[in-house]
Amino acid sequence: MIELSHVTKKFAGRTAVDDLSFTVSRGEIFGLLGHNGAGKSTAIGMMLGQVWPTGGEIKICGHDVQSNRRAALMPVGAIFEAPVFYDYLSGRRNLEILSSYTAPTSPARIREVIEWVGLTGREQSRVRTYSHGMRARLALAQALLPKPELLILDEPSDGLDPEGIHEMRQTILRLQRELGLTILLSSHLLNEVEQLCTRIAVLQKGKKVFDGNVADVKAARGKVALKTNDFPAATRLLRERGLITDSADDRFITLAAGRTAADIVQALVAADLAVNGIWQHEQTVEDFYLNLIKPPSADIKI
Amino acid sequence: MFPAQLKNELWKLFGKKRTYIGFGAFLLAQTAMLFAFKYTRWQQDFERLLDGNGYLATEFISILTVSVVMLIPQIMLLMPLYATLVGGDLVAKEAEDGTLRMILSRPISRLRLLFVKWSAGIIFAVVLVLALGLTALGFASLLFPWKGMFVFLPGQAFCVLSAHEGLVRFACSHLFLAVNASVMMSVAFMFSCFNMKPAAATILALSFLFVSMVMENIPFFDRYEDWFITHHFKCWLLIFRDPIPWSQICQSEIILVAVSITAFIIGSMAFQVRDIKS
Repeated sequence: MIELSHVTKKFAGRTAVDDLSFTVSRGEIFGLLGHNGAGKSTAIGMMLGQVWPTGGEIKICGHDVQSNRRAALMPVGAIFEAPVFYDYLSGRRNLEILSSYTAPTSPARIREVIEWVGLTGREQSRVRTYSHGMRARLALAQALLPKPELLILDEPSDGLDPEGIHEMRQTILRLQRELGLTILLSSHLLNEVEQLCTRIAVLQKGKKVFDGNVADVKAARGKVALKTNDFPAATRLLRERGLITDSADDRFITLAAGRTAADIVQALVAADLAVNGIWQHEQTVEDFYLNLIKPPSADIKI
Repeated sequence: MFPAQLKNELWKLFGKKRTYIGFGAFLLAQTAMLFAFKYTRWQQDFERLLDGNGYLATEFISILTVSVVMLIPQIMLLMPLYATLVGGDLVAKEAEDGTLRMILSRPISRLRLLFVKWSAGIIFAVVLVLALGLTALGFASLLFPWKGMFVFLPGQAFCVLSAHEGLVRFACSHLFLAVNASVMMSVAFMFSCFNMKPAAATILALSFLFVSMVMENIPFFDRYEDWFITHHFKCWLLIFRDPIPWSQICQSEIILVAVSITAFIIGSMAFQVRDIKS
């Protein structure tokens, strides 16, 4: 559905996106993560033909965005952080205006979408009277009007209260479940990404530093939580015997290749060190993300 | 799709209050000028001028005469201000507000989007000039009778016409004024397509017009007056000459239309290569 190949964007000598490549398959909810200024919005801008890439190629539904923008964006809907509308016009008029830039849209379709997002009864009110949550729903409505196959959401929960964030999350899941949409989501809310996305890519200073399945991230291969009376002594011993490669936070050990939890228990018991507990650690996307982007000097090693 | 897009662009344009600032200012200025003409020595000076040239002043101090008197200062001062205000807003305000990013996430080409906006700007310019002319006639009719027309502008025009002939020429002059307003709007629109604030686009366009006017009035540049856009803006007054210099009017109109199209092309080229970011 989306293919980025070696995409680069430079602004006045500063590289905002550096050799970025990834693909998003049909039906996926794909998360784009990164700190502020990591290049997420620039990457999304390039996908939508708003920002011209310095190099590389972007295809949406098989169409090159630069050379065939119209065909590429025909099946796309987009929502940006803090959605902006023509405040002095009604919600319905805003939808009519925005849909006219895609294709003729029937009044029945506009009514249907207004109902879908739950704005029925308020569509004739001026947008300046809308709450933040209602604006978010209107943003969703304008994105859904052209019956898109792909939704690009750039921090859609930005500025929403917890109830609004929950509602937006449920809506995104509903969109994928009921309409079968492919969704690319850029967000700072790692908990949200973990609950929604099937795959993620992490950007740091414009470069992709990770691209993979959320399930793999959570499995955290080889990472084990160990509860013992003397964690430093235990890790020293295990490291000497080549059973672990790393330890962290007085709690976690990373098993060496081919080693199992049973090997650890056996070695510690043989050395007369009590093992109070040992279990496979399932890390959160937040743990993974923070470990991935933290500077090397912050690593805790024995 | 173009008619629907243009209709929606007009909804956006005429739906916001600041679009009407110009119309409001015209109404106030016209009221002030009407009373000034009626109740100061202005009217007496006009009557003396007519009498001195052998015309019966009472036959020519009329709705049409006063309308043109009211129009001239507004065309010189207010029309450029409000035409460039709207032209400067057309693209830059949307970019500043963030709605442009929303529009450009849709499969409309940048050129088409600009053409829709420019067309809406031209319609605004025409409506502004029509409103100016009609309200001038309306206000003048409150205090003056429907009689012959007298137009006097030192060095530019001096003519005395029947009411019917005067009305035809008054209407014709508005056609040319609409072209003037469109050019002013187009210059501001061009600047608006670059990466700048709406106010900056308006100020740059006004500066461009002001510099053109100043240079045109420097004696050294007399021989180059055809190169100044403000020189061609005066062609609307030529309609009040006898005989009407049609070739000169046509030449100026063609130049003005060409300037307008050039401004659109330059603006489009600048907009085409711009990155639209939040």
